[in-house]
Amino acid sequence: MATTAAPSRTVERPNIPSAAVRFPAIKDYEQVDREIAGTLRPTLGWFAALGIAILCMLIGATTWTYQIHEGLGAAGYQPPVMWGVYIITFVFWVGIGHAGTLISAILYLFRAGFRTSIYRLSEAMTVFAVMTAGLFPILHLGRPWKFFFLIPYPNWRLIWPNPKSPLVWDVFAILTYLTISSTFLYIGLIPDIAILRDREKNPVRKAILATLSLGWRNSDREWRHFTRAYLFLAAFATPLVLSVHSVVSFDFAMALTPGWHATIFPPYFVAGAIFSGIGMVFTIAIPLRKAFKLEHYITLNDLDAASKLCLFTSMVVGLAYLTEFQVAWMSGNRFEQDYFWNRVFGQWAWAAWIMLICNMVLPLSLFSQKLRRNPTWLFILSLFINLGMWFERFVIVVPSLSHEFEPWQWGSYKPTWVDYGILLGSFGWFFMWFLLFIKQLPAMAMSEIKEVIPPRMKHPDPQLEHELDVGYPHPSETGEYGTA
Amino acid sequence: MQGVLGAFHEIDSALHAIEELKKERFGDITVFTPTPRHEFEHAMSHAPSKVRIYTLIFGLAGVTFGYWIPVWISDYWPLVVGGKPVASWVPYTILGFEVMVLIGGLATVFAMFALSRVPRLTMTVGYDPRFSGGHFGVWVVTDPNRADSAMDILKKNGAEEVRRER
Repeated sequence: MATTAAPSRTVERPNIPSAAVRFPAIKDYEQVDREIAGTLRPTLGWFAALGIAILCMLIGATTWTYQIHEGLGAAGYQPPVMWGVYIITFVFWVGIGHAGTLISAILYLFRAGFRTSIYRLSEAMTVFAVMTAGLFPILHLGRPWKFFFLIPYPNWRLIWPNPKSPLVWDVFAILTYLTISSTFLYIGLIPDIAILRDREKNPVRKAILATLSLGWRNSDREWRHFTRAYLFLAAFATPLVLSVHSVVSFDFAMALTPGWHATIFPPYFVAGAIFSGIGMVFTIAIPLRKAFKLEHYITLNDLDAASKLCLFTSMVVGLAYLTEFQVAWMSGNRFEQDYFWNRVFGQWAWAAWIMLICNMVLPLSLFSQKLRRNPTWLFILSLFINLGMWFERFVIVVPSLSHEFEPWQWGSYKPTWVDYGILLGSFGWFFMWFLLFIKQLPAMAMSEIKEVIPPRMKHPDPQLEHELDVGYPHPSETGEYGTA
Repeated sequence: MQGVLGAFHEIDSALHAIEELKKERFGDITVFTPTPRHEFEHAMSHAPSKVRIYTLIFGLAGVTFGYWIPVWISDYWPLVVGGKPVASWVPYTILGFEVMVLIGGLATVFAMFALSRVPRLTMTVGYDPRFSGGHFGVWVVTDPNRADSAMDILKKNGAEEVRRER
């Protein structure tokens, strides 16, 4: 929860004049409750989308069942490439989750105003993305039912996992991340669930909401401890998000494989994760703001600010790509040089150029303010970013394994329909949870949005009134919200 | 618990009522607000939350436990490789950090619940559903002798509705 409670008299004025007031079209607290609670009514479009997501998920589940029956050979692994789509997609989904924590925790600590309307969506995205990512190491196991061997607990086998192995670090990092992200999401939801509880007429639903809200009453005592706890959770989540993708990068960087054994990997992975997550936030938030008619909550100013973050992380990622080449060139290591040459001009050039164009070139369009404020372009760009970031992981995993030190270690990799089926299933699984979430619980933090709306006053502050009513035209009059 | 509940639509009215109630030495006052507001924090002037103490203690316990797990495992099942230390603290820092965040984070949440006294099983006294919407509430615990005086203060300061509860 933001603690910038009192409306500031010296409101910042970014390059958009009407941005002086955070949500100019929102007049009071009741409007927030009415409009956001109104998004919970299921629609035909929602049922259709949920149906498609469940179908995709079932395709994935069926394919996995087939793989369990047939063995991992069904998945297109062939020596020397014994990591493929599953590890690529694992890293992809973990990365998607990171932007959620960035927006909900890191931008909270920095008091970035534009996070207010998009952080709930992003946080839910984090939880569901990590839930999806967590499936892939299990899918990658020959005997998936023995996944619990990785967890250190007293057992009859008297065998313990090796704590020096990056795979064990992964278990700790991903489980901690999932637990803390879910807790962070739930804690932020409690006051909003209390709002829904107090508005609910159906006794069964009211009882469920009352249980989930834990009897929250919005008292000063509750808020006092809540705001502190939220702050500390954000402070924990911030280094956690950096550590998790660093640990994921160690899965590669700890190996002596060309292209992997690089100290640049942790920051490179973290920047890539945040970049890909922002891409997915756009993919989700832009259609939702349109479908829910919430353009005055996720305003063009918010999209503009998020686009700048996207542009910045794209440039960091681009710099990391170029640094990798520079390091290989200057290392004098023949294997590294050959590997990177093979990556961009050889066997895997097609994948590398998809990555470079989607992640480095297309985001440069965001230098244009006009495009940063064009939701249609942002949505299209986000699809390219999602594609580019999946291929980034492909380019990391496959070319290295297919081109190691000796010619006998050189080979190729071709995913089978099982890989594609499970990849499709992962998207179905993710969107199924997400679609269920947005119709059961508010997709925007109602109580936090209220924090930045001036409260009703008997004797209003004349300075604030001036800023609200006189200084800037109402955005609906100027077409500020856009039409896309 | 007996008391008086006032519902306000304007924040400044509620603040004035709290100030006057405190001036009249009504000690046990609770404010309900749809969103945390610094104005109420200042008016109520409570001590800072103690959540941070639990965060610190359990965070430290977590990091200790997080280091202890791999050290114990290494000792129990030693992998002797090239004269390297059996228990090496550098990679174990990852586990120490993750367990610190896990235990510290969860302890923070449980401390918040305990200090806020949630889960709460009943909300029938001293609460109104409007307080999660657009209204501010002031609940004053008082004996019947002083209830009229508290009601007068709430009404005088612009409460939309004032009622006694028990």
